[in-house]
Amino acid sequence: MKTLLTIAWRNIWRHPARSSVMIIAIVVGLWAGVVTVGIMNGMMIQRTNYMIESEITHAQIHHPEFLSEGYSRLYIPDHGNITAWLDEDERVQSYTNRTLTDGMIQSAVKTSGIRIRGVDIEAERATTTFHENMTEGEYLDSDISNAVIVGEALAEAHNMDIGHRVVLTFENVDNELTSGAYNIVGFFRSASVNYDERNVFVRAEDFNRLLSPEPLVHEIAVMLNHEEMADGFVNDVNSTFSGIEAQTWRQLSPELSMIVELGGVMMVVITAIIMIALAFGILNTMLMALFERMRELGMLISIGMSRMRVFAMIMLESMILTFSGAIVGMGIAVLHLSYYKDAGMNIEVFAGGAAQLGWDHIIYPVLTTNEYVAILSVVICITLLASVYPAIKGVRVNPLEASKSN
Amino acid sequence: MAIIKTQDLSKVYNPDTIPVHALRDVNISFEEGEFTAVRGPSGSGKTTLLNMLGGLDKPTGGSVWINGEDISAMKDSDRIDFRLKNIGFVFQHYNLIPVFTARENVSFIMLLQKRDKKEIQKRADELLDQVGLGERKDARPVQLSGGQQQRVAVARALASEPKFILADEPTANLDTKAAMNLLDIMERMNKEENVTFIFSTHDQRVIDRARRVVTMVDGAIHKDEVKEVTQAG
Repeated sequence: MKTLLTIAWRNIWRHPARSSVMIIAIVVGLWAGVVTVGIMNGMMIQRTNYMIESEITHAQIHHPEFLSEGYSRLYIPDHGNITAWLDEDERVQSYTNRTLTDGMIQSAVKTSGIRIRGVDIEAERATTTFHENMTEGEYLDSDISNAVIVGEALAEAHNMDIGHRVVLTFENVDNELTSGAYNIVGFFRSASVNYDERNVFVRAEDFNRLLSPEPLVHEIAVMLNHEEMADGFVNDVNSTFSGIEAQTWRQLSPELSMIVELGGVMMVVITAIIMIALAFGILNTMLMALFERMRELGMLISIGMSRMRVFAMIMLESMILTFSGAIVGMGIAVLHLSYYKDAGMNIEVFAGGAAQLGWDHIIYPVLTTNEYVAILSVVICITLLASVYPAIKGVRVNPLEASKSN
Repeated sequence: MAIIKTQDLSKVYNPDTIPVHALRDVNISFEEGEFTAVRGPSGSGKTTLLNMLGGLDKPTGGSVWINGEDISAMKDSDRIDFRLKNIGFVFQHYNLIPVFTARENVSFIMLLQKRDKKEIQKRADELLDQVGLGERKDARPVQLSGGQQQRVAVARALASEPKFILADEPTANLDTKAAMNLLDIMERMNKEENVTFIFSTHDQRVIDRARRVVTMVDGAIHKDEVKEVTQAG
């Protein structure tokens, strides 16, 4: 085995330039692939966590028709019973009640369609991180009456500033159009420009005064101790209470769930592209090396080297060539990802477009040990597969090749 | 006693299209310790005969017996193993492993034979000394002249302690001085260690030194003569 390793190793360096180019290609390919997968993973996880933590939460409870209709009359009946039940459930970390309806915002400049979100400041703060999105002014715990916070994108479109007054118009619980004057106390910027243009936040008690004689709750957003508990929790809520519908974040935001699934598919696609390139690289290099050495292989078989050993020698050459590159490429990728895992990778150059789609411009790449192992395992399998053909060709060399002229 | 014997040995290339009879019912035997040249014009079948004797090619008719074993009936893997243990080869183009040093080239075949490492080292050094390359043991083939490379090839062929050595046009690529030097070495091995050499050659220098000359024409043995070689010095 040592002799085979020696000969394989030296055969690789028979053409240093060719082997170096191949190894560099493997290093760059693997590094780029692993880092890309890490960044995509990080983006998916950040996006999912952000959406869950800042707004969607792990599960939400609504009137069964509220999400499709959006009318204020479709509130959660007897929400007190549900919140009392939530208080007793050990899976629940926190929850918050929201009063929602669709309406219009009118500024001095123009009118836009929006969703008005009435929030319980303390419960919202304890449940979501949305208050961290404030970029200017104050959150809703301002002393100013009828306070409203609007997205930066909406403020820009309306040429609004802090201190300006806007009119919110919406249907009350009796289907009558109602308006209220609100004072802008702050601006927020979420990960989605689209979201920022279509949502405003007010205090639930201010909102409820205009909406209904009784306080209404249209949405209960629940944060659980673990995301995996969501399915069981939702089933329990739906079987315990009637006239409501509880849904997990995956059901509430199928596009987000799809992004997560797509992330997995993209990882497979990127890995497959790299691996196909790797396979053809190995195949090409090994076949070139093989065709140059037909007479030598014929000689080895002539003097008594078994075909099995010839096979092993060629396989070893491929493995050494690939692993030299793979280990270095993987090493650089690990160092790269380790650094950016904490420091974050600023992709601001592309963030203009990314923000429109709801992506953060600071990415914290993530790649688990299992994913590293999976990529390395695929590299091993691909190398073995790509090496088999040249090795079989090598095994089939006729010993008479040894007597042939070049 | 004959260590090699052929029986009605035939080889036909392209039997289904345009048949080419490379060997026609060749019956010949070689004794231990012979120093034999197989001569003949191009296409006479001398290289084909050597390939058959070395088990590198399979006959289409007849058989090759070496030390009582019919190698033409063996499986490919058994023939490879048989060659490793019984036959040494010297090729026209030297065919050394370019990434190995002279010592490693000579040692390699003994490693394939799974011999003791110390013994391998000792024998490789001895053989390289015998072929006059004691000072170039760590040189790679590219650093050696053609004559030196062919001497390494002879040392390699001897390393496995074969029953006989088949040399296909061993001096074809060498100048006179290198060719004579190589012949001296092989002749000395033949005389001192009773190593059997069978050459295929066009080279008159080899034919002059051979003690038996087999002449082939059109795939058949035309003449087989044993002669007395007068050695200078």
